[in-house]
Amino acid sequence: MKKILISDPTLRDGNHAVAHQLSLEQIAVYAEAANAAGVPIVEVGHGNGLGASSLQVGESRETDFDMLETAKRYLTKSKLGIHVIPGFATIKKHLAPAIELGVDVFRVASHCTEADITQRHIGYVREKGREAYGVLMMSHMASADLLVEEAQKMEQYGAEGIIIMDSAGAYLPSDVETKITALVNNLKVPVGFHAHNNLGLAIANSIIAITSGAKIIDGTARGFGAGAGNAQLEVLVAVLDKLGYETGIDLYKILDASDIAEAKVMNVVPIITSQSIVSGLAGVFSGFAKHVQRISKEYNVDQRDVYFELGRRNAVGGQEDLIIEVVLALVNKKK
Amino acid sequence: MNQIQIEMLNEDCEKSCIDYKSLLPLKDQKILITGGTGFIGKWLCEMVSFLNTNFDFNTHLYLIGRDVESFSNDAPHLAKKTFISLIEQDVKNLHDLPNDVNWVIHAAASPDSRVHVSQPLRTLETIYRGTNLILDYCFRLPTLNKIVHLSSNQVYGKIEGDNLITEEMCGAMESTKFTNIYAEAKRISESVCSVYRNQNSLPIVICRPFSFIGPYQHLDKPWAINNFIRDGLLGGPIRILGDGKIMRSYLYGSDTAYWILSALVSGEVGEVYNLGSSEAITLNELAIKVKSILSANIEISGKSSKDEYLNTVATIPDTNKIKTQLKVKENFSLVESLERTITWNKHNNKQ
Repeated sequence: MKKILISDPTLRDGNHAVAHQLSLEQIAVYAEAANAAGVPIVEVGHGNGLGASSLQVGESRETDFDMLETAKRYLTKSKLGIHVIPGFATIKKHLAPAIELGVDVFRVASHCTEADITQRHIGYVREKGREAYGVLMMSHMASADLLVEEAQKMEQYGAEGIIIMDSAGAYLPSDVETKITALVNNLKVPVGFHAHNNLGLAIANSIIAITSGAKIIDGTARGFGAGAGNAQLEVLVAVLDKLGYETGIDLYKILDASDIAEAKVMNVVPIITSQSIVSGLAGVFSGFAKHVQRISKEYNVDQRDVYFELGRRNAVGGQEDLIIEVVLALVNKKK
Repeated sequence: MNQIQIEMLNEDCEKSCIDYKSLLPLKDQKILITGGTGFIGKWLCEMVSFLNTNFDFNTHLYLIGRDVESFSNDAPHLAKKTFISLIEQDVKNLHDLPNDVNWVIHAAASPDSRVHVSQPLRTLETIYRGTNLILDYCFRLPTLNKIVHLSSNQVYGKIEGDNLITEEMCGAMESTKFTNIYAEAKRISESVCSVYRNQNSLPIVICRPFSFIGPYQHLDKPWAINNFIRDGLLGGPIRILGDGKIMRSYLYGSDTAYWILSALVSGEVGEVYNLGSSEAITLNELAIKVKSILSANIEISGKSSKDEYLNTVATIPDTNKIKTQLKVKENFSLVESLERTITWNKHNNKQ
């Protein structure tokens, strides 16, 4: 039976959905449930990863290390994973203490055309004997050929797998097939896929990724994640089981974990809002959703116009300051 | 570095130096080595140090490198030697070099693939411009005997099948693939050598290095054998990335140094020699060997993009030519090479 490695960023991508306000109690309760279900990797932290808590992208309620320490206590079987964007996270201030704290899996991410920035972080993690993966975010913004080149850089740096993120939920199944196939054919290491559900395709795209050769898939409880959320983990596990793939996750227990997550971790289960659909069509980073909603309301601007303009400007994660610029431009235009 | 490590290096050179008399033309001579502070440069220093100490060679070395400080940190016992002159220069910007040089080994350019993909144009420039500059300099040397240019096995391109690679083989290479920049640059450097040999009558011998192992090999370098040893020393798991059936071979550091000096003295001008071991091993087998040498309960894990690979890749040199013409041989089996490398690094970790 073919094995699929599931990584669960409920406690990381989900933090986007609550403006990074997950509490230690919520982290504890879900980590315990995910661990009981046998989820292989549980990703924890600020939505934008280690060291990202800031005015620019949002301040988190808990510190990185309190969140990680709390999760680690409950992850006796599951590996503790973190999302790392070089620039937010530095080696000395963030990676070294995270290793000391017992983080097992480091997913070092960059915008899809900027893999060069990940060299030192991936190298450092490998030198310390921990697992290092490369993550290419906003991957819809690069062609398959360019993604292959950027992924090959990460592979050379020592990444043990390359995950492409559909950060904007913009992919159609045929896009996923093209890109995953190209990566699988040109890389030595396993390829992974991280979906967002803006166009209602997160599960379908994840399955297409697998049939195209991906071996690592991300999924979150109830799809708890930025924007319209991610591939819904419990659905993913059930579908993969039906398709004959092995995830090592206990179905009943992951269903229980999702119920717990819905009751105790999230205020609202992610749905595909009108704004999410537009965000997906425009190809805008799902992590922008809360900011776009807030600023658009403040200036009485149609969120949909903001998304399309952000998409036109090729806004990428980390450029949250562009939202206000776009909103002000729309306000001026109205005048 | 402790005394045990220094003694190990000396023992290694003694074992590899099977016929010091064949190297007598280097006696009382001056050798300039570009890239002299890297893995190969340090081993060349060790071998010359051995010859000077045991056979009164009185050979002087000019080592050109970009990072003299790291050389002094890695090999403080060598940095103190009076027969070594360290020259901190980038091979792309050579100037004011000594003019009493008799032999040149051009070994500059990092084989580190991380550097190649992050700084492709710098890689190309270092190799192309560096080769041009060093050969131009050689042309003006009044007492030059010979030059060894260290190229790369990557100039062979994509060789189908698992046959041993002979010096005559020539595989395909996609020039538009940015990951081929190092290989393309090395091909150009060989062409540059051919031009200088033909038009300027420079006595150039080309060696094409394959893979090496031994002390001085930094374990963070992105090669399977280094990473297996590092992972093993950290307690595992040893991670095999990609196709575990890929075949590699590894020449030990002191053998490498002896072979290069032999090519310098006895290599035929215009000839190309493979420089590597013909003892092939798959990555899967290699991981098991590292594990068994460490005698530890270490997990070995495989991570690959595909479940089955249709074509097995083997990068193993045919070394018949260099062994026959230069009378060199492999004095360290792969197991011995691994054992000594691991022992060496255990000493490093203790410090």
